[in-house]
Parts: sequence; structure tokens; C-alpha cells
Amino acid sequence: MRKVTNMDWKTDKFSSVQQVMDGMKAAHYICDSQVATTVYIACNIEKPVLVEGPAGVGKTELAKVIAEYLEAPLIRIQCYEGLDESKALYEWKYGKQLLYTQLLKDKLDTIMNKQDKLADSIEKLHQYDDIFFSAHFLEPRPLLKALEQPEGVVLLIDEIDKADEEFEAFLLEVLSDFQVSIPEIGTIKALRKPVVFLTSNNARELSEALKRRCLHLYIPFPSAALEREVIKTRLPQIGERLRKQLVAFIQAVRTLDIRKPPSISETIDWARVLLLMHAESLSKELVGKTLNVILKHEEDIRVVEEKLVSLTVAALKEDADMAGE
Amino acid sequence: MEGTLGDFITVLRRAGVRISISESLDAVNAAAIIGYDNRRLFKEALAASLAKSHTEKKIFDSCFDNFFSFNFFQSPNKANTLNLEAHTEALKDRLAALVLRDDKGKLAMAMMEAGRMANVSSIKNPMQKSLFTMKILNEMGMPGMEAMVAQIKNSTGSGLSQQTAELLEKGRDDLVDTVKEYVEQQLQLNADGVDSKDQFLKTTPLSQIELRHFHRMDGLIQKLIRQLEDRHSRRLKTADRGKLDYKKTLRKSISYGGFLFAPLWKKKKENRPDVIVICDISRSVLRTVRFLMLFIYGLNKRIGKIHTFIFYSNMIDASYIFDRYSIEEALTKITTDPSLPVIRGKSDYNTMFTNFRDHHLHLVTKNTTVLILGDGRNNFNPPNAEVLKAIGERCKRLIWLNPETKPFWGTGDSEIKTYAPYCHLLQECNTLVHLERVVGTLLSARR
Repeated sequence: MRKVTNMDWKTDKFSSVQQVMDGMKAAHYICDSQVATTVYIACNIEKPVLVEGPAGVGKTELAKVIAEYLEAPLIRIQCYEGLDESKALYEWKYGKQLLYTQLLKDKLDTIMNKQDKLADSIEKLHQYDDIFFSAHFLEPRPLLKALEQPEGVVLLIDEIDKADEEFEAFLLEVLSDFQVSIPEIGTIKALRKPVVFLTSNNARELSEALKRRCLHLYIPFPSAALEREVIKTRLPQIGERLRKQLVAFIQAVRTLDIRKPPSISETIDWARVLLLMHAESLSKELVGKTLNVILKHEEDIRVVEEKLVSLTVAALKEDADMAGE
Repeated sequence: MEGTLGDFITVLRRAGVRISISESLDAVNAAAIIGYDNRRLFKEALAASLAKSHTEKKIFDSCFDNFFSFNFFQSPNKANTLNLEAHTEALKDRLAALVLRDDKGKLAMAMMEAGRMANVSSIKNPMQKSLFTMKILNEMGMPGMEAMVAQIKNSTGSGLSQQTAELLEKGRDDLVDTVKEYVEQQLQLNADGVDSKDQFLKTTPLSQIELRHFHRMDGLIQKLIRQLEDRHSRRLKTADRGKLDYKKTLRKSISYGGFLFAPLWKKKKENRPDVIVICDISRSVLRTVRFLMLFIYGLNKRIGKIHTFIFYSNMIDASYIFDRYSIEEALTKITTDPSLPVIRGKSDYNTMFTNFRDHHLHLVTKNTTVLILGDGRNNFNPPNAEVLKAIGERCKRLIWLNPETKPFWGTGDSEIKTYAPYCHLLQECNTLVHLERVVGTLLSARR
């Protein structure tokens, strides 16, 4: 990691959109050019990226891949209701403070003993007052850690929509200026501006202020071609024919009216399962048996089962059509 | 290019995408980094910095395609058989020279420049089209060229100069057409603003709104609902803290030997009104009913219980329909479902009031707001206003919404003036603005 210190990300890693795309591909992350362009711009104008999209399309994965690409550590904050700054930013090491006051008691006594009057002691004490609230007693939490890394990090703030609005407001300072204010110490600025990703599942509408400070990236369900590419990269062992069929099937399922349409991660899982079962091609029985891999709700499974035959036939036909071309 | 980008941002804003100054700066930076040579990358760069949600992305896409398309002066170059030297006289005029040389790039530049001078992006409605076309042509120097053409024609010159005149006339006609198209495009871009259309929809009488605007209306209502909800939820948060509950504290202190050790607080009750809605569903009122119901049921987080009664010639309790089905389905059900025991004859307030008094009056408590929606056209039945009086005395508030405009109140079979004294609030309600105001008071007023 040492050697990275003087490397400039902008010139070395983000010189063109194509380079970013290739880099991500090398890390087994296939995406369309909108994703690459956004990441490229974000790193060049040093803005956080707000990633939205349905669950399981690879929002979190994106941050991981970029960290891998930059060979930088990834610091992750998982947001949840009730997350506050003592868990995200910093906390005082209360135990250490107490221990030190006990240990230093004698020392303090000797210092104080020289003074006769109470006023003098207090005067004396004032000269030491901030010792216990200094950086030594600060317990850095993810956000502060991210700012303190001299080599830069990728900071992932996951599922920001799950956090309270107050936390969102608190993030604004970090996101726009890459600094935080700690009352007892002062303002801490980032040694090197981290690459920040925020992800959201749209559980609630994010505030305008937050959106304004970020670049916006919406990752939709992938197109059939892109999805095939993803499967190919992730599971190269799987046969050409099966790959086409299963992607066609998934794409068709997504158009149905179901509660939770299968996402890429489910497609990959399914492909893995089919591979385990040594399947060469989709069939009605096979799909029926493995439906629970791609659908996570009883009622969804029921909906798809009703149309199982037609969907399977359509997927097989799709493959035949493409072979014909 | 920054100017053009600025224009584009204005267009986006008009189309309903909220863009702040910092975001426009981002866009300029992003464009500078990406460059303008690759259209796809350029578009993606702008999309990342300007569109901040999925819906905004869609608006962005269509605006981008509209804005950054330039199809003018695309006709193939004419074979330049002209001997330009022959037209020395004509070449003196700048515009005429461009036309004769058929220099499309320069002409386009001149047109854009003239457009900016004439402030064509401020165009608002189709009536202004010819005005702006004129302005742009003037700015480009059309009068000078016209004068010259006339001059050449009048002078009894050789065949050559007549040919020049013809060419120039042809060029002029083409130019006028192109400028017209350009202005048309600008109109499409600039006048198709969501904001102005929304404003229009908000103030148009509900009964006149066309079916094709319904989905837009629904979006608008959702927006208004969210605003109302924001406004009222925030206030509830601050109002949550109550006063010291002395009695409870005393009682609690017994276990501490009489010390007032643990103070207890009065909790403020959340002010969620129960609502009883009584709707006339005769044809004259139906539209308003639809939108009112969208409002009321959209706000059900802020409203305690909702009872819905619908009446035509008789009255039925329709609450179960709204509980069981989605609001859209319920609305179609109450308007068209033949299995409902509604007699669709003439609206009859007398029967409605009698029925309500006999069977449902117990629902009205001091925490209830009764909302009656109807035009009070009773088809000359007895008004039965004493029931309304009884309801008004029992409930917290009695609000009557009348979709008719005020001048019609009390004319013909309208009994609204008989009912008026018993209502706490009687309001004309036939636009979205009215509706919003009423629902707002429903949530906020504490009596």
C-alpha cells in the first residue's frame, strides 16, 4: 500500500471514461457507460455519488469495485434508524479518560498542592483543561477514519434512506466540504478527499440539500445483453445456450406484476444453482424446482408458476431466434 | 458553450427539474472534463449532475434530445454553378452574400445569434410565433436584403442580375421557413413547462378537466398531499411536548415517600380529526368527488377515521368500498358498479338526511369533522335542514363544499342558502386550489 501514497488518482486511474470502464471490467464488474461516466466525473470534480436503483442491481458492489480498482481501503457505514454521530463520526474514550484521571491522581495532587488558595488551583487547572478532550481520547468512527486516511479511501454510506433525516442533515458538511466539526477540538479536514458513494433504495425521499451535493446515478435492471455479459464474467463455466435462456427468462419475469422482481444477484445465484445441477438447457421442471432461488415471495412464485410453461417456451424460443441470427 | 448550457438548464427547469446553482456549476465542470465531442458521454455527464431522480432522468432525456438537435439548414448543398464575381453588387449585403454562397454554417450561426438577441427563449405561447420570427429575421438583416432585391428587380439590368434576384428570393423564402421552424422548436422547448401547465390545472374548474389530464392531476394531488403532510407532521413534532402532569406526579410520588421525585408530563394528543364524508354522486358533482376522495384518502396518515357515505336518490355507507379496494378501483365502483344499492335517479337531500339521522348520527362526536360535498340541488324535496342543524351541533366542524360557483347558489332548486346557517364553513369548491385549501384547514384548525 505504501507505494500508492504519491499516486494521483485523477491522472493515473481516471484519465478517461474508457479506462474506468476497463478497470471495472477487470474487477468483474460489468456496467453500462452511464455508470462509468458518472464515476469518472465524480472523481474528477470530487463530488459524492448518490446511487439509486432497485435492490440487488449492484449499488454496494460498485463502491467495492472502485475501491479494488483504486487499491484503496473501503470504509463502510451501514445506515439504520437511530444511527447518530457518536456511532458514525467519533466518540470520546470515556473509559480511557476515567482511567487516566485515576492514574494521574497523584500527579495532579502534587501539581495542585503547590497552590495554597482555591482560586490559584483553579487557575492552575485551567492550564491543563483540554488534555482529556484531545485527539488522544478520541475514538474515530468510520466517517472520521475516512477523513484521516492520508492515502485516501473509498467511503460507502450504505442505504442512507434508512437513516433518520437528522443524520442526513449532519452528513451535509462532510459531503460538501469533506470536513467535520468537533466542538472540543475544532474542524478536521480530509487529508485526502475520499471517493464517496451513497446508496439508497428509495425507502423515503431524500432531502433536496443532500441530492444537490451529490451526482446522481440510477442503476436500473440491466438489459438482456448486459446481463448475459455479467453472467459470462461471473460464471465463465456456464454454457452459452443456458446463459441466453436463463437471462431471457429472468427478463420476462421482470415484466410481470410481482412484488419483488429478481435482480442481478438473484440471476447469478440462479445460474450457480443451474450449474450445480448440471443443467444444459432450461426446462419446465427444472425452472419449477428452482423458482425459489429467484423469487422471494410465496405469491410471486404462484404468479410465475401459473405462466411457467409459456415463459419457459418463450425463453427457449428467444435463444433459438438468436442462434438463428 | 456555457451560454448554451445555461439555456439548456433553463429549459430543464421549466420542464420541472429542480436545478440549483451549484448543480449547474457541476454540469459546467463535468462538461469541461468530458468535452463536447462525444454526444453520448456528454449526455451522461450532464445527466449525472443535473437529474436527481429517476423521473427527472426521464424528463432530462427527452429535453436533451429536443434541445441538442439541430436539423436546420440540412438540405444538400446546391451545386455552386454561380459565378460569384457576377454578383458583386449583391455581395455587399452580408445576409445576401451568405444566401448566395449558400454558407449554411454561417447562416445557422447568424440565426442562433439573432435568436439570442431577440430573446426567443422567452417565447410562451403560439401567438408569439410570428412576432419572434419577424424579430429574428430583422435581426439577421432581412430588410436590407429585401430592399436590395427590390432594387435589382427594378433596375432594368441584364439577365444576370435578374437571375441574382431570383436566387435571392428563393433563398429568402427558404430562410423564412427555417426561422419559422426554429421558432417552433423553441416554443416546444420553452412553453412545454410543467409548472405553467400545473398552475393551469390547479385553477381550472374540475368539471372541465379533460380525461387525458387525469394522470397529471393525480400526480399533482400526490404532490400537494406530500406538502400538506410535511407541513403538519413537523408541527406535531414540536407540539408533542406537554406540560407537567401534577396529578400523576403526585400519585407517583407516593411510592417515593411523598418526594416529587419523578415528574410526569401531560402528553399532547395528536390532533387527528375523524372525518365523515357525505358525497353527492350525481353527475354534476362527480368530478369533484373523485378529487376530494383522492385527497382525503391520500392523507389518511393524518386523519383518524374516515367514514364515507354516498347518496344519490338514497344514501349508502360506502366506507367498506374504500377500505377494501384501492382508491382508483373504489372510485370507479361507486360511479358505475350496478350491484351497489344506489338508486341513480334525482339527488334527494331529504332522504339522505333522514337516513343519516336514523342510522348514523351516533358516529358524529365532538372530534368529528363532517364534510358534505354537494350542490344542494334538492329537486324541490323538503330541505330537512333540522338534521343538518343537529349534526352541526354534535360535531366539531361541519364543512359544506359546493362545486357550483357562487352566483348560482340559491337559484332554482338549490337549497344551499337554507343549509348555509348551520355550516361552520361553506365553501365554493371547484378547483384543485380550493380543495387543497379545504383539506389544509381540515388538518390545521383546532377549535
